[in-house]
Formats: sequence, structure tokens, C-alpha cells
Amino acid sequence: MPPAAAQRAGGLRRDRGAVAALPRAPRRLGRIDRTRLEALAFVLPAACLILLLVAYPLLHVVWDSVHNVDLVDPAATGFSGFDNFATVLTADDFVPALWHTASWTVLSVAGEYALGLISAVALAQPIIGRAVFRGIIVVPWVIPIVVAGLTWSWMLAPDFGVTNAWLVQLGVIRHARFWLGDTGTALLAITVVNIWRSFPFYTISLLAALQSIPEELHEAAALDGAGAWARFRAVTWPHIRPVSAALVMIHVIWTAINFDFIWVMTEGGPLHASETLPILIYRYALQTYDVGAASALATMLIGFLVAALSVFWFAVLRPRRAAMEAAA
Amino acid sequence: MIVSNPRMRAASQALTYLVLIGFAVFCLLPVIWMLDTALKPTDEIRSIDPHLLIAHPTLAHFKEVLFNTHFGLYFRNSVFVAVGTTVIALVVATFSGYALSRFPGFALVRGVGNMLIVSQMVPGVLLLVPLYILIRRLGLLDTFPALMLAYTTFMVPLCALMLRGFFDGIPRELEEAAELDGCSRLSMLVRVILPLSLPGLLATGLFAFVNAWNEFMFAYVLTNSDQHRTLTPGIMLFKGLYTTDWGGLMAASVLAVLPVAVVFTWLQRFLVQGLTAGAVKG
Repeated sequence: MPPAAAQRAGGLRRDRGAVAALPRAPRRLGRIDRTRLEALAFVLPAACLILLLVAYPLLHVVWDSVHNVDLVDPAATGFSGFDNFATVLTADDFVPALWHTASWTVLSVAGEYALGLISAVALAQPIIGRAVFRGIIVVPWVIPIVVAGLTWSWMLAPDFGVTNAWLVQLGVIRHARFWLGDTGTALLAITVVNIWRSFPFYTISLLAALQSIPEELHEAAALDGAGAWARFRAVTWPHIRPVSAALVMIHVIWTAINFDFIWVMTEGGPLHASETLPILIYRYALQTYDVGAASALATMLIGFLVAALSVFWFAVLRPRRAAMEAAA
Repeated sequence: MIVSNPRMRAASQALTYLVLIGFAVFCLLPVIWMLDTALKPTDEIRSIDPHLLIAHPTLAHFKEVLFNTHFGLYFRNSVFVAVGTTVIALVVATFSGYALSRFPGFALVRGVGNMLIVSQMVPGVLLLVPLYILIRRLGLLDTFPALMLAYTTFMVPLCALMLRGFFDGIPRELEEAAELDGCSRLSMLVRVILPLSLPGLLATGLFAFVNAWNEFMFAYVLTNSDQHRTLTPGIMLFKGLYTTDWGGLMAASVLAVLPVAVVFTWLQRFLVQGLTAGAVKG
């Protein structure tokens, strides 16, 4: 809400409160108590769900990470110190998985942001058929990940896949390749598919931010002789920077912990070449049933998450809020 | 864009169209190829020189998927779970969203609000193990309530925050008038607020539905019988069973996308509006 409107709304409320408060002063306390009870009842279902299915499991993960827990072996009990962490950290597949997670996340988010920004800028232009293009660009985002993964697996298939056929015809590659079956290209191919499926979210969010920029700013800058790039830097970028920060932050987390894409397309293979940390968690938990190790890995990821979010909070959100308060 | 020179303006417009057409092709091609493959006879699918045009279109793959597999059952299960989740999530999110919008002054409400924002950031995969154990202990493994419970929980935070955005836009004066007329809080919500925030409810409901329909991980881990398996793990199962029958796999994919596509084209503008009005505001 713009400050003026907020002030107006606040002012209105205060006036009404003042008028209403005088004659009904004796009953006010009871009314507020009732309202408080109602508010409590309204948030109760959501609070229960979160406590039962998010907060409790979260504590459970941290607890399990320092205990011996095995899904099929009830004899495994007791405090284990940092054994589970040691198991995870010294396993041969940990460092590669960490590296895969990092490159998968960075490449995905960078690609998504680039495509999102370009498409949003194009969609912000006053052209005919904008709504149609916007509708088309959102399509990948609605396709279930399983279906997207399956369709692209078919398109990337080594024998009759259309990607190979076309790339060979265009002269980009000489022979058909097994994109998802080659340790060198598997993760990269999934990254491309992930970018395809995820970038529309950036488009929509950035487009909304672009459209909130007053036209006069662009005009004024143009009158001052600013070229397209200078206008982008001086006018557009400051307006889309907060949204961009939020988008990138959220997607770094979402991508780093994404399980579906990789599992659907390669299950982490071939030869662990596309195995990321979430895939590793799944393997520990539901293939080797070592819940302790899975929890230790999850706990480390939670730590990373908390660290990333605090950095975001202290580096981006708080300064911005402070700047806004200072301006107001 | 402000370009004074008419030739420059034409050039920039041409560039804009070029970029947008490029994006349109990129976005639609896989979807078109999916449909194309589903309608092709197998000998045309297994061709080293694939074409978009189909010489002999056929519905054989659709017939196969619909009548000779468990697809229909999975589809029904998905409808049931997604609709159930949407309804429950909307009810829970409406109440909490309303409280967040109207009573932000109460510490308890604020606390729940912060809890929602934080839990929105907690990824499901990290909780997979304890959730699995919890669901097993509750005796809900391989049931619909397990899925609906998990989906609702992970959907409620964003839905509540989206709805709060819509409720914020409704003037409080209406409620004050209703209260003076002796309206209780609950009937005020039902009679005054909800009718006014119908676009918001639609957007939020659509969001919940699409997410529940598309969810894979929990469905994959928490169900293991055909009776309760939903479409996404079902299709994954098909992938293992019919590895090279791409026609059948693509026909199943088309059918799985269909409901979301229909709902989405119908309600698209609400969704865009909802996302920009509510939750993801930077």
C-alpha cells in the first residue's frame, strides 16, 4: 500500500474508533477478548497442521541426526554423537553430490533468471497479442514435473529422439548422443529441462514489477538523452532489484533441494553422475534405510538453509526496510 | 519503449516479436511433440527422420492407455486427492488468511503468520523421513488422507498469504456495518468477505489444485498400491514398465496434463492476478 493510502486508511480507522469508543467504553474489554478468541480459533487449524507436519518433523530430523535410527533394524538405537555426520561426510559420493548440487543450482537459477528477464522485458512492450504470448510462456510451469521430465526424456532419446535428429540436421552435432545416459551430459540436460519448466515463474513476477514502473520515469530518462542500456540501469533495474533478489533467493533453495526432476529423469545416474544431495537423502532413507545418515544430511541442509535465509534477511530485506523507513 | 525515430521503433518492435516467437516455440514445442507422438502410429514414432506432420494419425495409444492399464484408476485417485486438498487447504487458509489480515495486532496471530512464512521455506524433501515415519505411525501409509494431509500442510502457508493479500483489499467499513447489523464474525466472513474475494479464492484454489495434481515426491513415497496411487507416480511406473512404448507414455502424459490445462486456460488471469497481488510481492 502506498504510504498516502495507508495514512488515509489509518486515519479513517482512528476516527471511527474514537467515535465508537466513547459510548461503548464499558463493553469494550469483553469485545476485544471475544475477538481475540475468534482470531485464535481462526488460526488454530493452520497452526496445528504446521506444528504436526512441519515443526515436529523438523525437530525429529535434528534429533535423529545424532541417534542410531534404522527403518528396518529396530535394534539400532541410542545416542550416536556425530557418527552419522561422519558416515555422510566420508562417503565416496558426498563430495561429487555436493558439487553436482552446486552446479545444478547455479546453472539452473542463472538460466531461469536470464530467460525470465528477457521474456518479461519483451512482454512489457506495448504490442499486439501480448496476452497470447504471456499465456504461452506460462505453459511449461503448469506441466507436471513428471510429465515434463518424461516428455524431454523422449525428445532427448538416443535412438528416435527429435533433439538428436534436428541437431544433426542443423550440423550442431555429428552423431546422435545419449544425453541422459552419458555421465558428461546427464546433469546438464536435466538442468536445461528444469530451466524450461521453471523460468515462467520469473517471467510473471518480473513482468508485474516492470509494469509497476511509471511510464514518466522512462520518458524523463529518454528526454535526458539516456540510451536503452542507461535507462535499464537507472530506471528499470532499481525497480526490479527487490523482486529479483527474492526470486533468486527462493529458487536457489527450491532448486538445491529439488528431488523430482532428477529422480524422474535419471534417478541420479548414470553412475551417480547426476546425484545431488536430496537424491542422496532419499537413497540413505529409503534404499539403505539408514535414517540416521539421511537425517544428518538433512540437518546439514537445514543449516545451510538457515544460513542462506539469514544472509538474505540481513543483507537484503533489513537494509531495504530500513531505507524505506528512513525515506518515510 | 520510448523510441522517437519511427524506423527504430519498427526495428525494436520486430525484435520484440522475434524474441516472443522464439520463447513461444521453446515453450510449446515439447508440449506439441508430446501430443504429436501420442497421435502417431508406432512405426512413425520409431523413425530416424521424425516429422511433425503425421501421415496416419491414430488414437490407438489413447485406447491402450485408457482400457488396458490402471490409468483410469490413477486418474480418479488424482482427482480425488487434488480436489480434496484444494477444498481443505482453502478452508484452512481462508480462516488464517482472514485473521492475518484483520488481527495483525494480536501477538498470537502474528506468531502464526511468522510460522507460515518460515514453513513456506521448509522443503518437503528434508522432512521426508520423519513424515514417512509419522504417517506410518498414524497408520495412514498408502491412504488418501496421508496425501491430503501432507499436501494441505505444504500448501496452506502460501494460500493463506495469498488470501491475506486479497482480504487486505476489502474495506473494513463493510464489516463494521455488518457487525452493527448484528452479524457474527463467521457469517460476516461467509456473507461479506468471501463473495467479495471470489477472484482471490479462485486464484488460490487453482494454485492449490495445480500443485496437488502435479506433486510427485510424497505421492511416490507415501503410496504403494494401485488403489491409492495417483497419476504422477503412476506415470513414473509406466515409464519403468513400457520403456520404449513412447506413444503410450505420451498419450498418458497428454491425458495427465489435460485437466490442468483446461482449468488453467479458463482461470489463467486469476492466477496471474493472485500471484502478483499476494504472495510473491518483492
